[in-house]
Amino acid sequence: MSEDRPFHTQKSYQPGLVFQPDVHRNIAAGINKLVAAIRPTLGPTPRTVAVTRLDDLRKTPEVLDSGGVIARKVIEMSQRDEDIGAMLARALICTQYERMGDGSATAAVLLGAIYRGGVHYLAAGGNAMRLRHFLERALAAALEGLDELTAPVSGKDKLARVAEAICHDPPLAKLLGEIFDIIGAYGQLDVRKDHSRVLRREYVEGMFWNSGLVSRDMIVNQKELQTVYEEPTIVIADFQINDPRHIMPMLELAVDHKVEKLLLIAGELSGDAVAGLMMANGKLKNFAVMAVRGPGMNPDDRQAAVEDLAVMTGGVPLLKVMGQNLKDIRREHFGGARRAWASTQSFGIIGGKGDPRQLRRHVSNLQAQYAREDDSERLDRIRARIGKLMGGSATLWIGGLSESEIEARKASAEATADAMRAAVRDGVLPGGGLSYLTARERLQPKMNGATDPDERAANRILYEALAEPARAIYENAGYEPGEVLGRIAQAGDGHGFDVLHGRLLDYTSLLDGASIQKMALKNAVLTAGLALTIDVLVHHRTPEIARDFG
Amino acid sequence: MESDGTYTLRLTSADDAPFAFAASPAFARDGLCYAACGSGLYRSADGGAAWDLLPTSPEPVTTAVALSPAFSDDRSLFAAVKGGVLRSADGGDTWFTAGFPAPPPVFSSLAVSPDFERDGFLLAGTLEDGVFSSSDRGRSWQPWNFGLFDLNVLCLALSPAWMEDETAFAGTETGLYRSTNGGRAWRHTGFPAELAPALCIACLVDERSRSARLLVGTESNGLMASCDQGETWERLAADNLSEAVNQLHVDANGGVTLYAMTSDAVMRSDDGGLSWSDLIRVEGVATAMLPLGDILLLGVQGKGLMRLPLE
Repeated sequence: MSEDRPFHTQKSYQPGLVFQPDVHRNIAAGINKLVAAIRPTLGPTPRTVAVTRLDDLRKTPEVLDSGGVIARKVIEMSQRDEDIGAMLARALICTQYERMGDGSATAAVLLGAIYRGGVHYLAAGGNAMRLRHFLERALAAALEGLDELTAPVSGKDKLARVAEAICHDPPLAKLLGEIFDIIGAYGQLDVRKDHSRVLRREYVEGMFWNSGLVSRDMIVNQKELQTVYEEPTIVIADFQINDPRHIMPMLELAVDHKVEKLLLIAGELSGDAVAGLMMANGKLKNFAVMAVRGPGMNPDDRQAAVEDLAVMTGGVPLLKVMGQNLKDIRREHFGGARRAWASTQSFGIIGGKGDPRQLRRHVSNLQAQYAREDDSERLDRIRARIGKLMGGSATLWIGGLSESEIEARKASAEATADAMRAAVRDGVLPGGGLSYLTARERLQPKMNGATDPDERAANRILYEALAEPARAIYENAGYEPGEVLGRIAQAGDGHGFDVLHGRLLDYTSLLDGASIQKMALKNAVLTAGLALTIDVLVHHRTPEIARDFG
Repeated sequence: MESDGTYTLRLTSADDAPFAFAASPAFARDGLCYAACGSGLYRSADGGAAWDLLPTSPEPVTTAVALSPAFSDDRSLFAAVKGGVLRSADGGDTWFTAGFPAPPPVFSSLAVSPDFERDGFLLAGTLEDGVFSSSDRGRSWQPWNFGLFDLNVLCLALSPAWMEDETAFAGTETGLYRSTNGGRAWRHTGFPAELAPALCIACLVDERSRSARLLVGTESNGLMASCDQGETWERLAADNLSEAVNQLHVDANGGVTLYAMTSDAVMRSDDGGLSWSDLIRVEGVATAMLPLGDILLLGVQGKGLMRLPLE
């Protein structure tokens, strides 16, 4: 989670200690304030929140409807105790937004309800540590209930419904439904700003990297500023080639094996080495060579790219760590592809000739690595690698009437895309708070059967909190929550309420990403449990100056 | 014609033999059928007794042929030659070609949408370039290989319920892939990797049990069947169908009667593939077959193109 509190204008705080009952009361006030700011954004009819601009108060305020973005803009509360509660809630909401792209308002509403219920119980003499323990046990039961309801999702129409539940933008949702039906959970999607007024998408065959030719002189097609080779032989090396004499063994081996087109992917080439290749281009009959810089901004990325390229093309890479250089090249170092193209900015490979079985194993290993990984940056990198190996990519071009509309729609598309990946990978649940309402059935017997008062209280608190997201959605759409919940109960199992059209419907027609909802619930319970155990606050003196944390 | 009613057309080269056959949906009435051979595309208008070589393209080797399901009305057919797919809208008298990216693809199979009249959709499988699709009756083609890790496509099949589920299958050197979005993206099925390659596919709906089944012919493990869109597999008729199954044909009688071609026999099953019996033993290597009511079109290496009567 990022700790981006760009400007933190501290007041003149005095050091001090705060004890109960002020701790619970004031933390609750902080949590409630932040939750109240985000609650109106929950559901398909979100209301907006205006936020003054940090850099210039005279500018028009930002009008936001995303819980995650709003939480990031809330930097501090004026009251120090409340600030602690608000920042606990902020951390939960931002984590949810950054990891999942959706579900931040749901997490906020759940946190508010659980903490409120917990504080009431503790005020009546409950034990905070035991309550936290039983809340976590109740959470496990509720998550089991959600697991039972989880279903896989596929098909562009269903995926479009999932996207619409997240972005509330039907044309964007329709395109995202189609895109994710094609690229799946791991495919490469670039969201880019467009100069037109409409949304459009483009699919590119093969894999490409943002790393280009080492010299403009290697461009053959001057009109399109690129070079295309058919049936190229491919040599992959992860080191810098400085000595032009080192390229001779490679050229000799290529000529011996009647190679007509050679693509060299290397760390970097010196001017002399490039000149050597250009000379070969001019002198050798029926032979052409081009060289591109190996992709990757850091050693880890470069190593990963070398590994992927080797699997894709079937060539054995020449590696610096093995003490190799181009003089060591042998036939098995040659990979191949049906086509390769390169410009000064990027290069691509279509129809790599690596072993398909090995490629599938490699992708499966990366997917397993993805499932184990927690770090969001590493997750993005692994996903990008899998996406490249899938054999194509999609680009979504975002147009609009104004720059601000394009910016907002692009941000929405990116957040929705993150949530869509989770939905495709982990399945979907009934949306609109209905899955939480249904999961309450798992808690009912525990609530009635528990003999321990702390356990009974924990089950009751979570049971009641699980209705809160649905209540907030109905309230935000202008309905009386109690009345709608009554209609759903009367209609029986499998029914939900469509707030857009004011009617009951089969709940499977409202879809949300399963992992988004599960993560929102899990983190809300864990955060609330932790906050409930806080008994004393310690405040330090802080300097009376504006500090830039950026 | 021989005494037993067999017609044989010796092709221009002794090594030549048909790669594929296709027949008009109204074959019983018009007797029109086509054979894709190394020496070109042949047409017969008398149920396979006499064949004419059609003027298709300078590149004669024709590896696949497919007809529109509405052939009787639109007269559309498609023939795969090296580097392109030809299309004709007059039963094969005149031909048009469509461009493909270089290097020229080698086509292994063609699949025409059952709803071709409305959607104009085709898929073409290639040996190194994966799958191409066309949505404009073969005028232009796009590669659609997202998720297809193996670009050596040996066979293609469309689901019988294509109009509802847009499901297609591609058999490759290393496994079987499924697309649920009209061939735009592919996912690997549960077909066991050790049984690959998948040489031929048949999708059928058993009208008695109302269940959809997928059959795949393998190189050394006979015939495999799946009832869940390729996720789990069981081997069929292990006793009498143990060699390479190179081609499958589903008779249009409710998915009960099936034909399978091995390298030296054509076999028939009347119980949806559970048991098989020899229909014809072949002297030589069988390359293609097409049962058409009471006759069988058969390609045999070294013999050419045969038309055999079926009892």
